[in-house]
Amino acid sequence: MSSTDAAAQAPKTASRTNKRHVACAADEVRPGERRIVEVGGRSVGIFNVAGSYYALHNGCPHKGGALCEGRITGTVLPSDDYSFEYGRDGEILRCAWHGWEFDIATGRALADPRVRARSYPVTVEDGNVVVTV
Amino acid sequence: MIDCDVHNNWASAEELLPYLPATFREYMERGELPGGRGSFPHGHRPWLHPEDFKRQDATPPGGEMAGSDYEFMRRQLLDRYGLDYAILTSEEPIEVSTLANPYYASALASAANDWALDTWLSLDRRLKGSLVVAPQDPEGAAREIRRLGDRPEFAQVLVSSGSQRPYGDPFYHPIWEACAEMGLPLAAHLGGQGGINPNPTGTGPSTFFWETHALLVQTGMGHVASTIAHGVFEKWPNARFVLIECGIAWLPSILWRLDEDYRALRKETPWLKRLPSEYAREHMRLTTQPIERPKNPDALWAPLDDIGAKDMLMFATDYPHWDFDDPVLTAFPEEWEDQVMDGNARALYGLPERTQTAREEVPVSGVQH
Repeated sequence: MSSTDAAAQAPKTASRTNKRHVACAADEVRPGERRIVEVGGRSVGIFNVAGSYYALHNGCPHKGGALCEGRITGTVLPSDDYSFEYGRDGEILRCAWHGWEFDIATGRALADPRVRARSYPVTVEDGNVVVTV
Repeated sequence: MIDCDVHNNWASAEELLPYLPATFREYMERGELPGGRGSFPHGHRPWLHPEDFKRQDATPPGGEMAGSDYEFMRRQLLDRYGLDYAILTSEEPIEVSTLANPYYASALASAANDWALDTWLSLDRRLKGSLVVAPQDPEGAAREIRRLGDRPEFAQVLVSSGSQRPYGDPFYHPIWEACAEMGLPLAAHLGGQGGINPNPTGTGPSTFFWETHALLVQTGMGHVASTIAHGVFEKWPNARFVLIECGIAWLPSILWRLDEDYRALRKETPWLKRLPSEYAREHMRLTTQPIERPKNPDALWAPLDDIGAKDMLMFATDYPHWDFDDPVLTAFPEEWEDQVMDGNARALYGLPERTQTAREEVPVSGVQH
């Protein structure tokens, strides 16, 4: 019997080589923006959240969807008293397919932090966003 | 590979105007509409999706409604996954089932069918349509089935899973009669949860969209029990019933229970000759999306295997909706693949034999890397 878990059968991508790649110029991704680039043979989303850069694999750990094409948004904060407080604006990525919410900074799914989108180390060097994949 | 649930859309419901008789064209042109000008007349469900019910990346480049641009659908679905056929189920037309006025509902269904013939169904030989009818108007629905049922563009007759009564009820027998006469399956697609149709859960209304979405499978259960109990498959031995997007994991449980109760109380339905599960296996087909995902996949397949679901399941993506199942990443037991991805639908809809294995021609995975 085969698995229904997409994460277990994630699309075949090159294994990590720990190579550094220039993804784009830093000023091509302004705060609140994202850019999807090909880096080391894979599709990667570069995000600028309030001046900090992050890189996420553009394949959702849920069902392989177009994670990085999703909406950058905030979220409703956890509450214990049936209140609805909106926060973390610009820190959350909502997958374009099924709408799962991910913390851009950690790659973790808000509803189940055990599920994590693959993320890559990012540095800014000489005005370029450098991603290690 | 055959995708049994693909939603084609119009840019605006006003595309139906030329296909409506003058009486009902006026209703749509001048009368009240639930979402303002250009919206489709229907009673909307009271659970509003808090994001959107379409995939966010399915909006065509021009910003039109998802599913309304053939070229974009061709690239994003048909060609990308190498589909042999896509069974189109349209977007809003099944919602005619929610209207109180059965004559208006039937006129809208007819207009939508003529619109589909003039637009989508002449674009690509891989596209097969669904002949939408208004179930609250069984005689009108039967006329519509006889009017267009011999057009090869249509693979099945389609209604919403939301209904005033379960579909085995004698009220609907004119529809079954017409389907049998034209040799078409009757399909019920998740939807129609508003207007004149009852609350879809047995407890009274649920509250949230996700909570409700998970419970809508109850409508499928009711139709399975009803069509079997009322002897639809004895009365019309060639009748076929398709449940679209109503879940699959519950099916073994319901069939086990129906078999057990029927064995004790067959005297209520003396027209039945076989066990409920035997009717189901021969006459019912269920589309797989959105597939249930237990931690251990065998927990899904073992019960389904017990009731012979290998012969009953048909793969579907639900493109371009938010709960899309990817044709590459949705896994089935290896020995079920050919039937579920292709063979069961091909046999049901009488499509030509294929020449390749189900997924042989798939060019790429879900996300282009």
